[in-house]
Amino acid sequence: MEARYRKTLLLKDTGALDRTKEFFNLFLERLREEGLQEEVQVVRAGDLGMYGYGLVVKILPDEYTYVNVEAKDVPKIVQTSLKKSNPVQDLLYTPREKQMRVVLKNCGEVDPESVDDYILHGGYGALKKVLTEFTPEQVIDELKTSGLRGRGGGGFPTWMKWNFARKVEAAEKYIICNGDEGDPGAYMDRSVLEGDPHAVLEGMIIAGYTVGASKGFLYIRAEYPLAIERIQRAIAQAQDYGLLGGNILGTEFQFDLEIRLGAGAFVCGEETALIASVEGKRGYPSPRPPYPSVKGLWGMPTVINNVETLANIPVIFDRGGAWFSGIGSQTAKGTKVFALTGKVKNSGLIEVPMGITLREIVYEIGGGLSEGKKLKAVQTGGPSGGVIPDKFLDTPVDYEHLMELGSIMGSGGMIVIDEEDCMVDIAKFYLNFCVDEACGKCSPGRIGTFQMRNYLQKISSGQAGEDDLDKLEAICRATKKAALCGLGQTAPNPTLSTLRFFREEYLEHIRERRCRAGKCIDLLRYKIKQEKCKRCGVCAMHCPVNAISGSREEGYRIDVEKCVKCGQCFEVCKFDAVTRE
Amino acid sequence: MAKLTHQSLDSFRRELEENKGDWIKVGMSTCGIAAGADEVYRVINEEVQKRGLAVRVEKCGCAGMCYAEPLVEVCVEGVPRSVYGKVDKDTALKIVDKHVSGKRLVNDHVFNVKVK
Repeated sequence: MEARYRKTLLLKDTGALDRTKEFFNLFLERLREEGLQEEVQVVRAGDLGMYGYGLVVKILPDEYTYVNVEAKDVPKIVQTSLKKSNPVQDLLYTPREKQMRVVLKNCGEVDPESVDDYILHGGYGALKKVLTEFTPEQVIDELKTSGLRGRGGGGFPTWMKWNFARKVEAAEKYIICNGDEGDPGAYMDRSVLEGDPHAVLEGMIIAGYTVGASKGFLYIRAEYPLAIERIQRAIAQAQDYGLLGGNILGTEFQFDLEIRLGAGAFVCGEETALIASVEGKRGYPSPRPPYPSVKGLWGMPTVINNVETLANIPVIFDRGGAWFSGIGSQTAKGTKVFALTGKVKNSGLIEVPMGITLREIVYEIGGGLSEGKKLKAVQTGGPSGGVIPDKFLDTPVDYEHLMELGSIMGSGGMIVIDEEDCMVDIAKFYLNFCVDEACGKCSPGRIGTFQMRNYLQKISSGQAGEDDLDKLEAICRATKKAALCGLGQTAPNPTLSTLRFFREEYLEHIRERRCRAGKCIDLLRYKIKQEKCKRCGVCAMHCPVNAISGSREEGYRIDVEKCVKCGQCFEVCKFDAVTRE
Repeated sequence: MAKLTHQSLDSFRRELEENKGDWIKVGMSTCGIAAGADEVYRVINEEVQKRGLAVRVEKCGCAGMCYAEPLVEVCVEGVPRSVYGKVDKDTALKIVDKHVSGKRLVNDHVFNVKVK
């Protein structure tokens, strides 16, 4: 069909002043003068994914991007790029795409409820290629070339895991997909399961063919009802199309899948506990070795991979291991999906090549901090990770570099922290999580986390002495060494890393009984400064516990005995007369 | 559905490609639904049916821009393929009216354009 417009001009002001409408009218006027109004459509964009470039103009179909456009440039743009199709060189900008979609390439593209749409986008092509052109040994070689490492947190090379399971002789072998995503603030796996379920299935079928398994389980937490529904539908469709079951794609290979629901225990994301849970037992971890690839589900060799790892498999075989290994850094190949959240302007799901810096992620993809606040640190790896302070923002993101800084890549949670967050409070938050979720099997995990939390509580309430910091550290180190499973061993990480980089903040809590971020409520005291107070009474009206007494004639006072330190008065005072110390 | 084989997979894909016309996709992952994508999906479906337009309305997963949900992507011949963000009921109706029927982009909600 003939297009209605020959060209499209999109514009958006990305600076401090929003002049989008003003320029919209300028362009319209100019186009009318030139008699081009029927040939070019001018569109106000909602967001062009660029920030701090002044007025941005995009012209289609030529794909010219102009930045910092001023009113005087309008006639030139109309003349050069709209009447004709040439670029205005001095305004031209080539946007560099920071993100790279490999795992998420189908998320937001493919209808997750339709296997046809997946096939239309090239789906199951990798499976066909593997089944007809590759022996299991060749699959392992290709994976080795690709350099893929586990995306669940540990970063173990995937080909080794598969190869261990392949080499063991056994009556039955299993493939398990770990979809028990439990880190606070992380939702990468959910998005993949909901957005591209067939890719996970395809990855599992290829894994089954490689190691010689005929049965697989998807372990998904019950809190993800939509993911479960879509995976269920995907399994039924795949069975219907002959992509699961006997004689897959008309070959001898047979493989089938089932879903197992997790009941929401964080520990079940740990592989040995997960296997126990699939077996119908209580989700307790057990010591390794033996590793699951040798002795796993029902004592049989079991490959257990994270959702994102499995979603990488079809792409690797579609485009080749060499292509995959061309992406990323020296030690980490491919891309990583992160759930970027916290005090960042554009929170969301991002996928970046390994080795990108944190600065690029926060400022160029995330659009910087909300409300122009100053960045303090970035938390990665959830309750097993740590914080990376702003001076290390240029660190490349990969397994080794994050480990050096006492954090981990983890499954992909990334929380941006600004000056209004207290580091003691953050450490306490993660420890509270670990205390709640500790399974209780080993004492370091059960008692260690509990004691660490108590010390943090003591610090944040201003009752700790300096020697308590040493005791806290000693327990951290002991737990790290002695806990049974990975989750216990890494539980002290948030505490250790905040102690390492923000010790002065801990000392402030202890020596000065002060919390600079105003988060530790036991250390706060609200006061009304009489010389600034205009006696409007708004604070007294908002106080939920009637702790503010007085009148418009006498002035107002806060009764410290009654005050619950909710901060309402501080928020509502227009004259900064309420102080927080 | 007859079972696919390694010989028939590619021809099946080509068949699908030939039948692929214009489409609208609504981001229907948990993030989209939480922001109101359910209603947007329903409104667009109803409006497309009411007008008898030859455009398929489908669901898709999370495109990553959670801050801009609900997201709607429109691919209609003769108009640049566009992603709309922060779509509510009114914007959804505008998308069907202006973009699909009128072949013109809707103001203030374009978050991305893709050139084929």
